[in-house]
Amino acid sequence: MRPSLLSRFTSFLFITPYLAAFCLFLLFPILYGIFISLHNFELLSTEHDFVGLRNYIDIFTPGTYTNSLFFRGLWATIQFVLFSVPLLIVTGLGLALLVNALPRKLRSLFRTVFFVPYALSASVMAVIWLMMFDTNAGFLNGLLAKLSLTGVPWLTDVPWAWVSLIVTTLWWTIGFNMIIFVNALNEVPDDYYEAASIDGAGAWHKFAHITLPSIRPVMLFVMITSTIASFNIYAQPFLLTRGGPGDTTKVLLMNVLDQAFIRKELGSASAMAILMALLIIIISIVQFKLTTGRKENAS
Amino acid sequence: MKKKPFNWLTLFLMVTALAVVLAGCSGGGNSNNGGADSGTNSGSDTGSGSGGKKTEILFWSPFSGADGPFMKKIVDKYNGSQDKYKVNFVIQPNGEYYKQLDVALSTAKESPDLVIMHVDQVPTYVSKGQLIAIDELASAAGISKADYAEAPVEYSTIDGKWYSIPLDIHPLVMYYNKDLFEKAGITEVPTNREQFDAAVQKLTDKDAGVYGYVVPTLWPQQFIFPTLVWQNGGELWNGSDVAYNSPEAAEMVDWLRGMIDSGISPANVQQDGENTLFLQGKNAIQFNGPWMKSQFDEAGLNYGVAPVPQIGKAKQAVYAGSHGFAIPKNVTDENVTAGIGDFLKYVSSNSMDWAESGQALASKPMLESEAFKALEFQSSVAEAFPYVQFAPNVLNWGTIVEPVWGELNNALLGKKDTQAALDEAVEKSRQAMK
Repeated sequence: MRPSLLSRFTSFLFITPYLAAFCLFLLFPILYGIFISLHNFELLSTEHDFVGLRNYIDIFTPGTYTNSLFFRGLWATIQFVLFSVPLLIVTGLGLALLVNALPRKLRSLFRTVFFVPYALSASVMAVIWLMMFDTNAGFLNGLLAKLSLTGVPWLTDVPWAWVSLIVTTLWWTIGFNMIIFVNALNEVPDDYYEAASIDGAGAWHKFAHITLPSIRPVMLFVMITSTIASFNIYAQPFLLTRGGPGDTTKVLLMNVLDQAFIRKELGSASAMAILMALLIIIISIVQFKLTTGRKENAS
Repeated sequence: MKKKPFNWLTLFLMVTALAVVLAGCSGGGNSNNGGADSGTNSGSDTGSGSGGKKTEILFWSPFSGADGPFMKKIVDKYNGSQDKYKVNFVIQPNGEYYKQLDVALSTAKESPDLVIMHVDQVPTYVSKGQLIAIDELASAAGISKADYAEAPVEYSTIDGKWYSIPLDIHPLVMYYNKDLFEKAGITEVPTNREQFDAAVQKLTDKDAGVYGYVVPTLWPQQFIFPTLVWQNGGELWNGSDVAYNSPEAAEMVDWLRGMIDSGISPANVQQDGENTLFLQGKNAIQFNGPWMKSQFDEAGLNYGVAPVPQIGKAKQAVYAGSHGFAIPKNVTDENVTAGIGDFLKYVSSNSMDWAESGQALASKPMLESEAFKALEFQSSVAEAFPYVQFAPNVLNWGTIVEPVWGELNNALLGKKDTQAALDEAVEKSRQAMK
C-alpha cells in the first residue's frame, strides 16, 4: 500500500525542523569550511584569494610549517585514540555490568553517580584533576608518600602524562558509554539466560555467547562514537598538560586552533580540520566493515 | 506498541529544543554580550539618529574576570557625568576576546567603536589595516602622549602614528611569603642575583617541605623567560631572526635548572604547581603577574610584592603586558569619534576605579596622584614602568614564539640539554616564519 500524499507531506513536516537545524548548523558550516579551506583565508584581511588545493598540498609537503603542525599533532592524537578507545569500551561495559548486577534500588543511584562527571564542564574537570595529579602537592602523590612510595610525575613525563589524560577522560566521559551499555543489556531477553542456565552454562559462557553477540550493534555504535570523541580530544591536554612534556601531548586540535585563532590563518586551519574529519570517516567505515563482516561469518 | 507514547514525547522534546535553539539564534547579536553589562546595552543599535539624542559608543573589553565591575564603574560614572554621549560597555569572555573581535571586524556588523586591546596585539591589527590612528582625536580631545608612561606609547606608535591610548601596564612582579622570609631571617627583599640566590638557599627547608623558589615549567614562563633573557643582554628577536638560543638565554635557563638540581625547587612541576605550593605556604617566592593579587588576598596569605630582581648580568628589564584603548577602522561618524575622545580624556584622569582592581595605571596624572600612591601594591608594580618591555613587534609573533614554550618545558624537566632544546625551538620557529 502506498502512503497517501497527505500522509507523506505530514511525515515531511515532522522532519522539517530537524532538517532546518541540520542545514543551518551542520551542512552549511561543513560546506563553508570546505570553501574556506580552498582559500588563503586570513581572518583580518578583506580579500581572500582562491588557492585551490594549495593548503592541502602544503600540509603534505615535508618541511612546511603546516606539515609539521599537522603530523606532530596527528601523531599525538592517534596515540591517545589507540590507548583510550579500548579502555572506553571495556570500562563502559564493565561498569554497566556492575551497575546492572546491583540491587534495583542501588542501581539508579550508581547510574547517576557514574554519569554525573559527564555533565561537568571542562574547566571544572581540569581543576579537580590538577589537584589530584599535582606532582608536589597533589592527592595521588600524597597518598603514595603515606605508603612510603616515591611520587609519580603524573603530568610532566611520558608515559604518565598519557595515563593521566586517559584516566581523566575515562572519569569524565565514561558515563555516556555506560548508559548506552546499560540499555543494551536490558534489551537482552531474560529467557536466553534462563535457557542457558538450564543447559548448565556458567557466568562466563553466558557473557561470551549471549550478552556479547546480543549487544554487538550497540558495541559498534559505542566503538565508533568513542573513536570520534577521542579524535576530538582537546580540553584535557589543553588544560592539564598544556601539550607537555615538550609537545608530546600537543594534540591535533590544539594545533588547528592555534593556526586558526592565533595565527589567524583560517584557510590552512580548515584544511587541517577537514583532513582530520576525512580520517575519522575512513576509520569509522573500516570499523563498520570489520565488525559487520565478522557477524556474517559467524551466522 | 509500548513505544508509541514515548515517541510522541521525544518528538515534543525535539521540537521544543529546536524552538529554543532558533530563538537563541535570532537574538544572537545581544546574547554574546557577556555577563556584567545587563541594562547598559539595551538599545545599542538605535544609533545617533533619534531626535538629537545621545550619541552611543559601543565599547568592547575582555574583562570577564573580577576586573569587569571596576571598568563598568568608570563607564557608569562617565555616563552619569554628562548627557551628550552614552558609552555601552560590553564584556566578551576573556579567552574568546580576539576571536570575537576578529569576527566582528571582518564582518563589520555589530562592530565596536572602541576596543580594549593588549599593546602587543596593536602591530598585528595595524599591519592588517584594522585600526585608526588616534593622533587627531587625541589632540582634539586634549589628550597628550606625555601624559602616559612612555613604553606602551612608543610601542603603539607605528610609522609616526599613534594607535593606542594605554590604560594600564602589567609587568611580571615578585611575590614573596612574608612569614617564610621572617622565619629564614631575611629582612631585605632581594634585588639582584646574588641576594636572590642567597635568599632562596636560606628559605629552602627540606624537613618542612618548604622551597625557596619553585620553578614553573609552563605558564607563566611566557613572562619569566623573556624577562631573564633581556636582563642577561640577550634578545628574543634580533631584528630579522629569532635569537633565543644565544648563550645569554641558555645561561638563564641553566640558572633556573640549577635551582631544580640543587633542591631549591622540586622537579616535575606541572601547570600551576608553583602557585599551589605558594598558596600552601611551601613556596617562598614566585614570579607572576599583578592579576594574581586578588587570589592571594582571598587566600589570606601574608605576602609582599616587589619588582623582579635583576638576575641577568646586563641590565634591569621586565616583560609586561598592557591594556590600551584602540579604535577600529570602520568608525567614521564624527560624533562618535568626538565622543570617544571625550570618554578617553575622562578616563585619563578618572581611572582610580581601575587601579582598585589591582592594576597599575599608565596615566601619569593618575600615577602621581596621592590616591594612587596610597595603594601600596599598585605603586610597587609601577616601580618597574621605566624598564618594562613588550613582546617583539613582529607579525605572527604568537605562533613564531610558540615552540619555545614546549622546548623550554623539555629543558626545565631535564628531558633535553638546554642548548639542544633552544636550538630546536629556533629551528621550529623559523619554520613558522615562512
